[in-house]
Amino acid sequence: MAAVASLNTVVGTLFILMTFLLMVSRQIQSVLRAFVGQSLLLVLSTLLLALLHHSAQLAIVALITVAAKVIVIPGVLTRTLGQELRARREIESVVNVPVSLLLMLGATVLAFFLAAPLLGPHAAEAQVNLALGLAALLIGVYTLVIRREAVAQVLSLMAIDNGVFFAGVAITTSSAIVEAAAGLEGVMVVLVVAILTRTIAQNLGSTQVSSLQQLGEEVPR
Amino acid sequence: MILWAIPAAPLAAAAIGLAVKNVVGAKVSTLLAALAAFALSLAAASDVTRHVGGVLLPGWIGVNALAAVMLVLQSFVGLTAAAYSWGYIPHIAAESPARQRQYFANLNLFQASLFVVPLLLQPVLTWVAIELTTVLSIFLVSFSNSREALEAAWKYAVITIMGATVAAFGIFLLLWGLTRSHVATQTWSALIRTAPHMPAGAVELAFVLILVGFGAKVGLVPMHTWLPDAHSQAPTPVCALLSGVEVSTVLYVILRLWPVFMAVRGFSPESWALVVGLVSVGTAAFLLLQVHDYKRLFAFSTVEHMGILLLCLGLGPLGALACVYQLMTHGLTKSLAFYGSGSVLVATGTRTIADVRGLLRSAPVAAAALLVGALAIAGAPPFAVFLSELTIFRAAAAAQDYVVLALLLVFLGIAFLGILRRTGGMLFGQPSHPPARLPRAMTATMAVGIIPVLVLGVYLPLPLYHLLGMAARSLR
Repeated sequence: MAAVASLNTVVGTLFILMTFLLMVSRQIQSVLRAFVGQSLLLVLSTLLLALLHHSAQLAIVALITVAAKVIVIPGVLTRTLGQELRARREIESVVNVPVSLLLMLGATVLAFFLAAPLLGPHAAEAQVNLALGLAALLIGVYTLVIRREAVAQVLSLMAIDNGVFFAGVAITTSSAIVEAAAGLEGVMVVLVVAILTRTIAQNLGSTQVSSLQQLGEEVPR
Repeated sequence: MILWAIPAAPLAAAAIGLAVKNVVGAKVSTLLAALAAFALSLAAASDVTRHVGGVLLPGWIGVNALAAVMLVLQSFVGLTAAAYSWGYIPHIAAESPARQRQYFANLNLFQASLFVVPLLLQPVLTWVAIELTTVLSIFLVSFSNSREALEAAWKYAVITIMGATVAAFGIFLLLWGLTRSHVATQTWSALIRTAPHMPAGAVELAFVLILVGFGAKVGLVPMHTWLPDAHSQAPTPVCALLSGVEVSTVLYVILRLWPVFMAVRGFSPESWALVVGLVSVGTAAFLLLQVHDYKRLFAFSTVEHMGILLLCLGLGPLGALACVYQLMTHGLTKSLAFYGSGSVLVATGTRTIADVRGLLRSAPVAAAALLVGALAIAGAPPFAVFLSELTIFRAAAAAQDYVVLALLLVFLGIAFLGILRRTGGMLFGQPSHPPARLPRAMTATMAVGIIPVLVLGVYLPLPLYHLLGMAARSLR
């Protein structure tokens, strides 16, 4: 069992590295690939925890995650936003990559500081997942703020979701119905936001969110 | 049991509206479903006050007094929004019956998702329902597909979905507390029972994540930036639902969890509520002064009122009553204010305050509606918000929070002057626009919408007082 727990730590490390990659990639295709990788690592960690706790519920959660995050969500994105995904342009971002990486590293350390006192004498696998899930959440929110491209923002949203569930599977499980509802809801979010993105691309000619600055309190033109 | 029928009514109306393939069918089914949902909500609320019913499926579906208050508010504003849409939507989408049907179907789905939130007994499922309210209202916000509407919808989607995801982390932390205490049921009541035994650190982190996360969707400063955009660009009946009901529906989740946070030893969520609430009220009051768009004016007033509601939670037992009371009066009044502003939009075709003059002469009904809405939401007597705000002042005095009371009075005074100065200028002078008549459905809706605002401005009926009292006790 100790081997499973340490394997989970390795998966956790890969998960946060994949999150870094997702957040600094400059091409939309590679962001999408990193998101699928991150989701797969989430599934792997869930399966390891299922093995560790002999939990059938966690195995079901892993299945739902594969269906929603690895198969359906990338499929929905490719179908609704095919052109935008293949576009070979760089994602605009307000902060450059080295500074961002440094800040993300800081966020990871902060997450460990926040998570450590919560655990007390509890098992080590929860510690890794809780801290790294929190780190992925902080990194995701940061990236969402600095990115100026709609498709990249959608994927950041989903990466935050992965972070939340990475922590969630280690600390609690809900009934299969609840988990399925959450998975279905994730798919609906992506579908609706992807359609909105396509409408923006069609009506405004671009998915650069930086061009969306009409509203405010300035004196109307 | 009637609970399941409340969200089922708008769902059925959405299906019928899509099946019959004509606009009148969609309108009629929407209005009938809204009427049915209102009647059912009143029945459910009356059951709750008599301590019968309440739970439909133990551990899954049921209502307490607070949830009943939400249902009544949601269904009343839903009813007026459906009636207002009858006249308003043909006006803004006259060229395309298909788009009008699409609107009514979407409106019904959004309404159903709102109803589901207070019906669920498990926080995780409630979270899913909150996400659904966002997902199902995005295309209502972007309905006009103009550049501004798309921008508003995008900000709305990204910021509120991100917020809800952050809040989900907090909810998981609370469930962790249940798991550690070996409690298998994950309901509100299980959380409240177990809260004193949960590790304080986890609950505190959960509180911050939930306050920030759902606070973004409630529109608390500094996560409010999307709110004035979305709540001003959507079609007017949707603005009424978003501002009057949706934000309070999200706040409902925080209210439902409030006893959990209060139960943690050595932690004072009340001081957080006071600080975050005051910051929101103050910021919104000053932002109100520089608005150039009258729909944004009322949207900023929503930010202000959400701050007031949060602040009430820090003012002791009377504050809890004031919070539930204000939640009710704000929803009723804000929807009326938006209907008034929508009438001005129909009469003039512009949202810009400076472009509108002499409304009293060119469109007297719209002018009267705007004036009543502005006075009522600013808190002037004899309207409902005046009495509920009086309760807040009493609560602050009872809790001996005189600094809070003084600041609140100053901010509310600024907001009052801001709202009246902005709208006052539109009413008088030489008319800027030719005389206009409003669709009859809109006038009728406003006549109905003003009834509770006036009645609750004079007195609080006893059954409602009981219901609000029960809801307030559930917050402690």
